[in-house]
Amino acid sequence: MSAKNTGNIAQGLAAATCSLLGTAATLPVLAQEQPEWEFDTALLYYGEDGGRVQDLSLNLLARRLFADDRILSVGLAVDSLTGATPSGAVPQDELQTFTRPSGESTYQVAAGEMPLDDTFLDTRYALTASWRQPLGRDYAGTAGLSFSTEYDYTHVGANFALSRDFNKRNTTVSLGLALARDELDPEGGAPLPLGFMSDVRDLSERGGTENKDVVDLLLGVTQAVNENLLVQLNYSLSDGTGYLNDPYKILSVVDPLSGDAILRTPAPGAAGPLHQYRFESRPDKRTKHSLFGQGKYFMGGKVLDMSYRYMTDDWGIDSHTLETKLNLPLGDTSYIEPHLRFYTQSEADFYRASLVDGEPLPQFASADYRLGSFDAITAGLKYGWRTSSGKDFAVRLEYYRQDGEIPTHQLIGSHDQSSLYPDLDAVILNFSFGFGM
Amino acid sequence: MDFFRARRTASGHVVLAFCALLLHAGAAAEDGAQSLDLSAYRGKVVVVDFWASWCAPCRRSFPWLDSMHRKYGEDGLVVIGINEDNAAEDAEAFLKAFPVSFAIVADRDGELAREFDLLAMPSSYVFGRDGELAARHLGFKTTKQDAYEAVLRRLLEPAMAASKNEY
Amino acid sequence: MRRIRVGFTCLLVLAAAAACTSMGAEPWERDVLAKEQMQLVTDPVEAAIDDHIYFSKEASSGGRGFGGGGCGCN
Repeated sequence: MSAKNTGNIAQGLAAATCSLLGTAATLPVLAQEQPEWEFDTALLYYGEDGGRVQDLSLNLLARRLFADDRILSVGLAVDSLTGATPSGAVPQDELQTFTRPSGESTYQVAAGEMPLDDTFLDTRYALTASWRQPLGRDYAGTAGLSFSTEYDYTHVGANFALSRDFNKRNTTVSLGLALARDELDPEGGAPLPLGFMSDVRDLSERGGTENKDVVDLLLGVTQAVNENLLVQLNYSLSDGTGYLNDPYKILSVVDPLSGDAILRTPAPGAAGPLHQYRFESRPDKRTKHSLFGQGKYFMGGKVLDMSYRYMTDDWGIDSHTLETKLNLPLGDTSYIEPHLRFYTQSEADFYRASLVDGEPLPQFASADYRLGSFDAITAGLKYGWRTSSGKDFAVRLEYYRQDGEIPTHQLIGSHDQSSLYPDLDAVILNFSFGFGM
Repeated sequence: MDFFRARRTASGHVVLAFCALLLHAGAAAEDGAQSLDLSAYRGKVVVVDFWASWCAPCRRSFPWLDSMHRKYGEDGLVVIGINEDNAAEDAEAFLKAFPVSFAIVADRDGELAREFDLLAMPSSYVFGRDGELAARHLGFKTTKQDAYEAVLRRLLEPAMAASKNEY
Repeated sequence: MRRIRVGFTCLLVLAAAAACTSMGAEPWERDVLAKEQMQLVTDPVEAAIDDHIYFSKEASSGGRGFGGGGCGCN
């Protein structure tokens, strides 16, 4: 036995001896409880190069700890988005004119430039709330609500989870269900699938508001493998139905030989596009399956976090995500954490860089770069420290890059791989501050 | 039938473990140059509480255990806190934040924890005046405090009543 | 054939369950597992931010748990 009864333990023993002998020990001050409220806040800057999306985001997560591990969490996020985003149209050797999503005016894209829709400006508010509590000795339940709103999009969701501990709490099995209903009310009305982009103030190809329903199911197992290794394996099923289009994405209609966009003439006296563009059309159903595995390994103070996710869906997209973080303590109160993430996805069956004039119109088509085939890498570094009063600060800087590839058979005439796919470079800068009260 | 036998055996183990603890406590006390008067346990109600600084519910159980120890110490309640921290500094820091007046024994190698075959942290074992295991609590729920206290009162009762009779 | 597959699946689940019960740390040996850095999600706000970014930029999302939802796309 290597018991070292020093300091307070020795005092404890001395006190115990006293009380066993019937002498009253001096009364120590009553211990303070843990803080009741915990706040995590973060200020995020996300910026893409080339005048694309910029997001400034303010995040707050408040947790109220009640007796016996019951927790109320309330989260609030405010995002302010500005900038432009690729519309899906193909760059041309001449000036291109597009009708704005509102249908109220036009904007132009210079020859040789990637067509970006620059009317993108939005503020998003998101609110989440959840309650978690043990149910008996082995079970725990969580119920939550989520709500978010931006000028053209509203999300309402509910989620439930139940977990059970086994094997002296070394194994936890959890089952979760999330339901969401999203409503889209795009500017100028949701465009009809594959409808033409029309002249200013011509709303003949526009519908009204649309809905989307998503059901998520999650089955997970968490296992403590030994004193230093924790692993988790999740299977999740996501089923989306309804309007799954991005109402602002279009495809250029191109000549089968030259690859140039087909010309059109606006109605007399009206302003409008000088080339043909059609709005995208996605299936109204999508089923995704994913397998997610994570391991956390403690190596004498350092903590290695590795995770991998495989996702496959009935749109023909497969993706692999490999992520790793290494938490390296610097003394007792600070740490640095390098982060690497690799992502790769195959394109959706209906992804196409453009629509070919004269060919039969496919039922589904999208030139949204996010449904294309691409690889992405994230590399970042986080530095965090804790003050003597127990407040946590962290700053994180990351670089995110997407490199896409368009199937060669989709490159027509003048189309050139490097100018057709909108590669992306972005910076993520994040300050966070956590404290208890 | 088997169930009862299994239970009997389990509690038998715990009683054995309790004996081991008493011997162990003596040994630990020798190491620490502080002496625990083992004879003082005879005829007492003893709560053996396994805890560690990293165990979150222990932050709730400690103030309560301390209040019980102070409230019923004179009636014959003895609380022994068995610490499962690997580093003495961690235990000391915890005791600074949650000071208690009862005895703390260090079980750095987890020998006692293994003997008692703990299922959770904290775990407490309550022994009656006859030295038999009377109750076992896994974890600590503040909502169950009154029930825990009722167990202690029931076990302490004969002597509490006797001491009242003296007046 | 189907029965064999079902049987095989059951066997696999049982084997996994058996493997789980033989793994783990004793309740008094969880000082490392109780550490903040050893939680599966150490920074929930950061995790939510990242989920939202990748949800907006890639065709895959979730897997770890449930995200907040909403669009903020493009």
